[in-house]
Amino acid sequence: MSATKTAAIDPSAAAAAAPPGGDLLDIRDLTLDLPDGTRLLHGISLTVAAGETVGLVGESGSGKSLTARTVLGLLPDRAVITGEVVLDGVGVLTAPAPELRQLRRRGAGMIFQDPRAGINPMRTIGDHLTEALRLAEGWSADAAKARAVELLAAVRLPRPEDHLRQYPHEFSGGMLQRVMIAGALTTSPRLLVCDEPTTALDVTTQAEIIGVLTEQRASRGMGMLFITHDLNLAASLCDRVYVMSGGRVVEQGRAREVLRDPQAEYTRRLVAATPTLVGAAPGAGTTSGAGAGADGGDAARRAGARHPSTGVSSTDPAVAHVRDSGAEASPMLEATAVSKTYVRRGKEPVRAVIDASVAVARGGALGVVGESGSGKSTLARMIVGLEAADSGDIRIDGRERTAVPRSRRERLAHARSVQMVFQDPYLSLDPRITAGRAIEDALRLHTRLGATEARSRVLDLLAQVGLGQKHAAARPRTLSGGQRQRVAIARALAIEPDVLVMDEATSALDVSVQAQVLDLVDRIRRERGLTVLFISHDLAVVRRVCDETVVMRRGEIVERGRTAQLLAAPQHEYTRLLIDSVPRPGWDAQAAGAEVEAAGSDAVGEGRPAGSDGRDAEAEAVEEARTAATSQAR
Amino acid sequence: MTATPTMAVKVLRAPRLPRTTATFAIASAVLAAMTLAAVFAPLLAPYNPDAVDFAAVNAPPSAAHWLGTDGLGRDTLSRLIYGARTALLGPLLVVIASTVLGILLGLLAGWRGGWIDAALGRVFDVLFAFPSLLIAIMAVALFGKGLVAPVIAMSIAYAPFVARLTRSLIAAERNRPYVAAYRVQGFGGAWIALRRVLPNVTPIVGAQSTLNFGYVLAELAALSFLGLGVQPPTADWGAMINEAQAGLIGGHFLPAIVPAVAVVVVVVAVNIIGEELSDRIGGGTPA
Repeated sequence: MSATKTAAIDPSAAAAAAPPGGDLLDIRDLTLDLPDGTRLLHGISLTVAAGETVGLVGESGSGKSLTARTVLGLLPDRAVITGEVVLDGVGVLTAPAPELRQLRRRGAGMIFQDPRAGINPMRTIGDHLTEALRLAEGWSADAAKARAVELLAAVRLPRPEDHLRQYPHEFSGGMLQRVMIAGALTTSPRLLVCDEPTTALDVTTQAEIIGVLTEQRASRGMGMLFITHDLNLAASLCDRVYVMSGGRVVEQGRAREVLRDPQAEYTRRLVAATPTLVGAAPGAGTTSGAGAGADGGDAARRAGARHPSTGVSSTDPAVAHVRDSGAEASPMLEATAVSKTYVRRGKEPVRAVIDASVAVARGGALGVVGESGSGKSTLARMIVGLEAADSGDIRIDGRERTAVPRSRRERLAHARSVQMVFQDPYLSLDPRITAGRAIEDALRLHTRLGATEARSRVLDLLAQVGLGQKHAAARPRTLSGGQRQRVAIARALAIEPDVLVMDEATSALDVSVQAQVLDLVDRIRRERGLTVLFISHDLAVVRRVCDETVVMRRGEIVERGRTAQLLAAPQHEYTRLLIDSVPRPGWDAQAAGAEVEAAGSDAVGEGRPAGSDGRDAEAEAVEEARTAATSQAR
Repeated sequence: MTATPTMAVKVLRAPRLPRTTATFAIASAVLAAMTLAAVFAPLLAPYNPDAVDFAAVNAPPSAAHWLGTDGLGRDTLSRLIYGARTALLGPLLVVIASTVLGILLGLLAGWRGGWIDAALGRVFDVLFAFPSLLIAIMAVALFGKGLVAPVIAMSIAYAPFVARLTRSLIAAERNRPYVAAYRVQGFGGAWIALRRVLPNVTPIVGAQSTLNFGYVLAELAALSFLGLGVQPPTADWGAMINEAQAGLIGGHFLPAIVPAVAVVVVVVAVNIIGEELSDRIGGGTPA
């Protein structure tokens, strides 16, 4: 690691990338040690100039958030810090408390990932926006209110006057994030620190928020420090990026250079692991070239390098055979005209899934794409028998699987037809049960294996997902996210299901871990001819896994087709909106493309606030109704 | 919805102190000493607790009687040691019975939800309306004096505390994805509830029950003090305070103070242990 580090940070490149003039933010040799001696930051140096957007990119635990928080003097208790953080000419680390408060008021604003956690739920939006001005700056209530209205309009909320009297719970996630931005801008800070501000948001909402941020940065000439795990987002937004890993900056430079031609080993792996919408798609073979952008060749080379399975899978006789036979025989999974409506007492019923039909051939992989509230998870839950469909028919391998299983026999039969890998491996494994035991439980339920046979089968299954004996005895708490998801997959495979449903199975994982898990799914599909229903909000991931894709919006399937064609030539406006909202590096588009994109996201911002509001409200309604419904079911 | 990129923040929380705090150690030692005293009372007590010695009535502490004697010349230390038996046994029985009953009812309400939950909730509300001591006194009025009736009554009176906690924990746990994962694997509801979900909440419930132990001990002592619980001449802390009342006028405080201090010390010790346990478990609950 250290060798690659020194190789990566070429002093001349760094000098070339450095902005002219004085820096707004200058972090030099920042180290941070916990009281127990663990070093979390190893000599970070970075700069942000006024009007510049600097990306801080890295995976979980890389120290990027920690670095950003030091800018505002938000330090962990009893941590030992060396180095310098100079913001607007003031040393943050050595500043006395009153000066630090001034810095936080005027020098820098910060936007956090979860807007709901950052706003007092008991106070109105108006209170949130005006209290800093009234209490800290001594403004009159009227002047502060006028300013708040102005700010809400600046972040393009539709009815600023009305919003002042509203409470946070009346807002969707995207709208609340705008309020957070407005709040951070009240005192016109010179630097805006954004810590994953769009990670919890849908992709179309993300595009709107990014539009607002870039606009505000341009009109105010602020510097922006943008923390993200999303390379594509960083590439589309930032002038320069710093790539962090394990508490070190492993590479830095102009966004375009770093991401197109990464020097450090870590950055190369990160770039390779990031799924994109352009370049060669696995399973799509020849047709995918159509969708490739300007540097399609380059991307294709990377894509080819990153999953060697791609080349193999199209020529692999076993897979070809599986697919061929699937085309002739009846589909493995067939859901016909399935609907689900949640009835809520005293409220409008929520139509979560409306007349949806999907079919997956034996050994095939179907992607279901949509944003939160689109009904894709409800569809999955009906297929695996967690929810009862109101109408319609679900068949797996020709067998009726519509009803929620009641008797023991039905439960076991349903389980052998379809298994599911859940979104969050931190929650879908029982915290008290070791990995080996979890798989053994499933084996014992479905087979008549003796204790020793079951145990050797467990090790066998763990080996298939790349885990070993020592993981069998580990509780979920001690496993990493990727390892946990592997355990969840092994547990599903133990039952030898006909169909595997993966509900956002990789969206809680880091990109490099996601790539490993996707590779694993590829391999298992090849080896076992497993049929996969892959549910995701991420078009790029679906493209990487699935032959065919359906797009869902508000419970309805709006478009379906072969993934490559769907991405290259989307027919439905919503599919186009989804694809356009995916952040991509400006240089991937044509020269004018970058401007078009910026304008496009602006248009999205203006045209859709009401829509995004409705969509989020819908997602919440579905969630709430589902919880209520399950309470009654048991 | 999507990634969890702020893992680093988790690291920032001050590391949990693995070492036991001094107060916790002392509290445990006190409780252990009391338990040993209760179990080995016949070996440890210097005198028969009921042996009357009119030659040494209200004697002050001495080499023969470390804590003096009461108005009938009975050795206070011996009575204190024997008294630990009823003082600890009663609450122990109440805690065990109320925990078992409370967990079963809470599990039923939390897991099934719906009208069962609503009905049980109202029953608990009614029970909460009566102080447990009052319920115990009513039981004594109906079934006669002694330890049996109050213990049964207080087991019922304390069950709602356990049940309500269990219910809310189970209701939260039931909607966790790991439960859905078990269902998808084909496991039945009863198996999931009893074998997998219940063990995940019992540590927290156990910590709460430990706290109940202290309250029950104090209340049973109060009952004996009122003459409704353990009956004289059996040595019991509450009864000892009652019997020592006459001596207080004559300035003989020790026979009353010794059992009173014992009650306070044990209740405080148990509460410290209970708080510490729930803190520890609370910190390590499933995410």
